[in-house]
Amino acid sequence: MNRSLTRISLILMLVLLSACTAAPKKDLALERVRDELDNLRSNTELAGYAPLALGEAERALRKAEMSAGDDLYRSYLVYMADRRIQIARTMAEREQYEQTLDQLQDEHSKMLIQASQLEADHARMEAAEARLLVATTSEEAQRAMEEKETAQQKEAESARAAQLSAEEADQARRLADSRASEAKFARREADLASQQVTSLTRQLENLQLRETESGVVVTLGDVLFASGQARLVEGGRSSLEEVVDLLQTEPDKKIRVEGHTDSMGDADANLLLSEQRAQAVREALVSLGVASERVSALGMGEDFPIASNEDEVGRARNRRVDVILLDN
Amino acid sequence: MKPILIFCVCLAMAACATVRPGPEIFDTAEKAIQVAEIAGGDEFAPVEMRFAREKLASAQKGMDKQKYEVSVYLLEESEINAELAIEKSRTARSRRRVNELRKRNEELDARMRATFGDEFK
Repeated sequence: MNRSLTRISLILMLVLLSACTAAPKKDLALERVRDELDNLRSNTELAGYAPLALGEAERALRKAEMSAGDDLYRSYLVYMADRRIQIARTMAEREQYEQTLDQLQDEHSKMLIQASQLEADHARMEAAEARLLVATTSEEAQRAMEEKETAQQKEAESARAAQLSAEEADQARRLADSRASEAKFARREADLASQQVTSLTRQLENLQLRETESGVVVTLGDVLFASGQARLVEGGRSSLEEVVDLLQTEPDKKIRVEGHTDSMGDADANLLLSEQRAQAVREALVSLGVASERVSALGMGEDFPIASNEDEVGRARNRRVDVILLDN
Repeated sequence: MKPILIFCVCLAMAACATVRPGPEIFDTAEKAIQVAEIAGGDEFAPVEMRFAREKLASAQKGMDKQKYEVSVYLLEESEINAELAIEKSRTARSRRRVNELRKRNEELDARMRATFGDEFK
């Protein structure tokens, strides 16, 4: 409103001015501005973008072209037309930029959409790969299981083979065992036989009591020791219990344990053996309750036989331990 | 509305007579220049801004020398330069946005190609 009024006033002014001035001459400046406007109009990229501003520029230019006023006024109108064209141009350019901006924004969002789609695709692909991996893994697991089974079968087979050989071994062992038990049996029989002999001997020889000048002599037969050994045989100790009972009836008397051997073998060795055996018996007596200070042990060797060393029965009698309950 | 009518009359009279217009005659051009300043005219359209200010100053001088007619033209010319400065500034801003977005798109494009390779576009 304001502007149109201004324009009306300008036209009014123009009319008034034209009344005072001469007719217009050819104007190079005006032609230049006309060219400029035509140029803008023919620019197909820009012309469509600012139709209103172009129209205003057109009107301003026509006003300048039609003006019949003085040069000052005319050049003013030309200047204004020129500015209007400039305004139209910059507005058109802006419109163009705005359209480009829309386009770029479109591209931008499209790229983002595509990115999210690709990401989703990738995620899907990764998921598929993961599934495949799982499948492969389970396949591998299956294979591993099968391999394991095969291994187990093999193991079972070898175990069976081992068992077979074990059975064979077992058989062999059983055979050996049976042989051993046979042997054992035989040995037991032999033992029984020897026990019979031993018990017989015991009956015959245990607790032989003799009176000597030194005192009462209890002779222990050669059943206490194995041949050549100085250690009491199993049960030897218990066979001494009777002896101990006897010894304890005279607790005030000293006791001397004498070891004797037959004449077989080295005399020194026999002496040593007789002494060791005497010591073993002494210890056994002490352990069975005889006061240790009462008992002394002595090895006598082969020098005090009580029977002939020419035959086995005599030698057996000579292999002995005498426990002497000393009188004094 | 009324002052414009007065202004027209003044102009008409200025054409042939020597009646000094009121100081409000500068208002429109001054206001236009202020708007152009706010629009960033000094940054984006310094030439137009300079014309607008020079013509305003010339108009003021012209008024002082009682060259009312030329002063009125100068004020109009000052105003339209301010107007052009406003439009140019707005256009420059659009151009700047376009360039920025174009650059961003190029970067995004490069990033996408780096990430997704040939799958992209």
